[in-house]
Amino acid sequence: MNKKASVVIIGGGINGCALAYELAKKGVKDVMVIEKNFLASGSTGRCGGGFRQQWSTPMNIKFAMESVDIFSRLDEELQYKTEYYQGGYLILAYTPEEIRQFEKNVRLQREMGLDVRLIEPKECLKIVPDLNIDGVLGATYCKSDGHANPFYVTQAYAKKAKEMGVQFLLDTEVIAIDSHNDRITAVQTDKGKIMTDTVVNAAGGHAHLVSSMLGLDIPVKPYRHEILVTEPVNRIFDPMIISFHYHIYMRQELNGGILMGQGDPNEPSSFNVEGSFDFINQVCKKGMKIMPVLENISVVRQWAGLYAVTPDAQPILGPVPPFDNFIHIVGFSGHGFMLAPRVAQHITDYIVDNKLSDEIKNCSIDRFKNMDLDVDVNVV
Amino acid sequence: MSEEYNIVIVGAGPAGLAAATTASKYTNKILIVDENIKPGGQLSKQTHKFFGSKNHYASVRGVNICNILLDGLSKEKVCFRPETSAIGFYKPDTLIIQDKEGLHKIKGNKFIFATGAIENMVSFENNDLPGVYGAGAMQTLMNLYGVKPAEKVLMLGAGNIGLIVSYQLMQAGVEIMGVVEASPFIGGYHVHAAKLRRMGVPILTSHTVKGVYGDGKVEKAIIHKLGGGFEPLHGTEKTIEIDTLCLAVGLTPSVELLHQAGCNIKFIKELSGYVSVHDDMMETNIPGVFVAGDASGVEEASAAMLEGNMAGLKAAYDIEGFNRSVFLNEKEIVEFELKSLRTGPFCERAQAGKKRLMVEER
Repeated sequence: MNKKASVVIIGGGINGCALAYELAKKGVKDVMVIEKNFLASGSTGRCGGGFRQQWSTPMNIKFAMESVDIFSRLDEELQYKTEYYQGGYLILAYTPEEIRQFEKNVRLQREMGLDVRLIEPKECLKIVPDLNIDGVLGATYCKSDGHANPFYVTQAYAKKAKEMGVQFLLDTEVIAIDSHNDRITAVQTDKGKIMTDTVVNAAGGHAHLVSSMLGLDIPVKPYRHEILVTEPVNRIFDPMIISFHYHIYMRQELNGGILMGQGDPNEPSSFNVEGSFDFINQVCKKGMKIMPVLENISVVRQWAGLYAVTPDAQPILGPVPPFDNFIHIVGFSGHGFMLAPRVAQHITDYIVDNKLSDEIKNCSIDRFKNMDLDVDVNVV
Repeated sequence: MSEEYNIVIVGAGPAGLAAATTASKYTNKILIVDENIKPGGQLSKQTHKFFGSKNHYASVRGVNICNILLDGLSKEKVCFRPETSAIGFYKPDTLIIQDKEGLHKIKGNKFIFATGAIENMVSFENNDLPGVYGAGAMQTLMNLYGVKPAEKVLMLGAGNIGLIVSYQLMQAGVEIMGVVEASPFIGGYHVHAAKLRRMGVPILTSHTVKGVYGDGKVEKAIIHKLGGGFEPLHGTEKTIEIDTLCLAVGLTPSVELLHQAGCNIKFIKELSGYVSVHDDMMETNIPGVFVAGDASGVEEASAAMLEGNMAGLKAAYDIEGFNRSVFLNEKEIVEFELKSLRTGPFCERAQAGKKRLMVEER
């Protein structure tokens, strides 16, 4: 094992791999990614794969718009087919409160230059003819939202990063992090010690565990979210369909399988990633209510992953005091996949040029000292 | 709402019924689910007499063993649900079953998976042509439904199933054109092979099926000889006119539910595939989850029943905590029977497999 690295990234998910690539692209040598299982084995490989720009806070909207811009050029840049597909996002409103919130969101999103509209139930049928519009009061629709295959996107970044000299240590677990005078000096793994002066925590659902190795108590908690996929069927719908009211999202993969997911808002925090029967039972009923045509399609697989959730549902980015060389890319609260491409660039600017962008400053851990948080309400 | 039972048994074959028989001596609230219309599993198709000692139901036909086991079950203690599939296990204690009414949640204190095995398939030309059957399907058609399944059959596989099903097909008036077996030896009991030979049926070892051919259905098979490395020998092809090719090429244990329950699954060749690791009382590494019968390694119905007895005994003992000497005494009897059954010359393989399984568990 190479015993020295300029940057050690903990976590081989989308954030770790995207960062490894961006660092290498900027000419950083000796970058190392440590992953305790295999690439995308955690939340990345278990996620719904959607990217959307329809958020309720300016920062998330800007971040997501910039990420989509990167996504749209990613296949070409990384020379990899990631199943990137701009099928849009259709977000359904079932209550007058939702409509009011959506009006506000759309106004903000349009001010920021996003092509998004609040549409009538009848217009939803033009986009998704099989949609059941009973109870639907309206919807927001953004055509440039979409989805990609999280495994492929991760592999795309990792493959290019490897070609540029990044080392990936798979099946390797971090067991301790050494520090001296508030500087990290080394990362200890079950396969040996790596001397370094920059460590990045990109451990997704396990981010809190990694930080606690240095006695830090970052406000990130893991919550189980479940998801299933059906057998492949002919094309039924293009956009990702979301309902905050029913806590459900669904999309059709390019191969025809339909993904449906939800989190139980009442479930306590845990590392549990077992699938449950209650999930399958509930999500299928909800799914069939929204799209009755799904009734006779068989479920082939179910699984679960962890949302790493912060108190305001926004990520924690940048160094966490007292360590200015312990950088966090954590707490994405269920939307790490879609933000990762842009976040990786901001973090790279910080590591390489010591440049703290407004985005990183906004997402600094310091914000939790102040009680008045700008909570993104558009989380499912 | 979920229903709750002391013991939930999946599979009403020999292992499952035997587990219920023993368990119901000591405890109640036992559920058996089975996807078939009638209980009995393979037993209900087995019209032949069993071997072994009196304690192994020697000289009793399988179908009658099934009836003996069923008659012995108390309706108050054991609930049987036919036409019910166990479709998923959710840790730690929930089984999902599906019947005509839909899905139901079943909670169990103990689970015994007596899920049996599924028939193997082999690759050859046109193996998806109508007229290619598994031996189990042939047996179901003739012995359960009373349907003559074919006119002219070629059997692939000279293990006990291939030999016995060939003989039963002849009893049903079907012509057996031959039995082909890829290995140089007949795998089944010689008494079964001898019966076929006396009836004039050729058993061709070191032979296999090259392919089946016909217009929309099987009309002929081409067989060829195999060399020492199982390579086809050119120029040895023979054409046999048949309407059905019957496959008796082994079984693979059904361990899906055990896998979902978190059981340690190991590949053990001698036990015919991936099996669930278990201790001497059939309990897996997951406390309260037991395995019995072919799902724990493919053997015969007699062994499956004894394994079922053992699992049922331990599950009931763990629930009720009855008199320890009664428990130990019964355990010893079942152990003795299993041992005497497995010391037969044809059980070396299974015995070796079980030994490996126990060793690997440690």
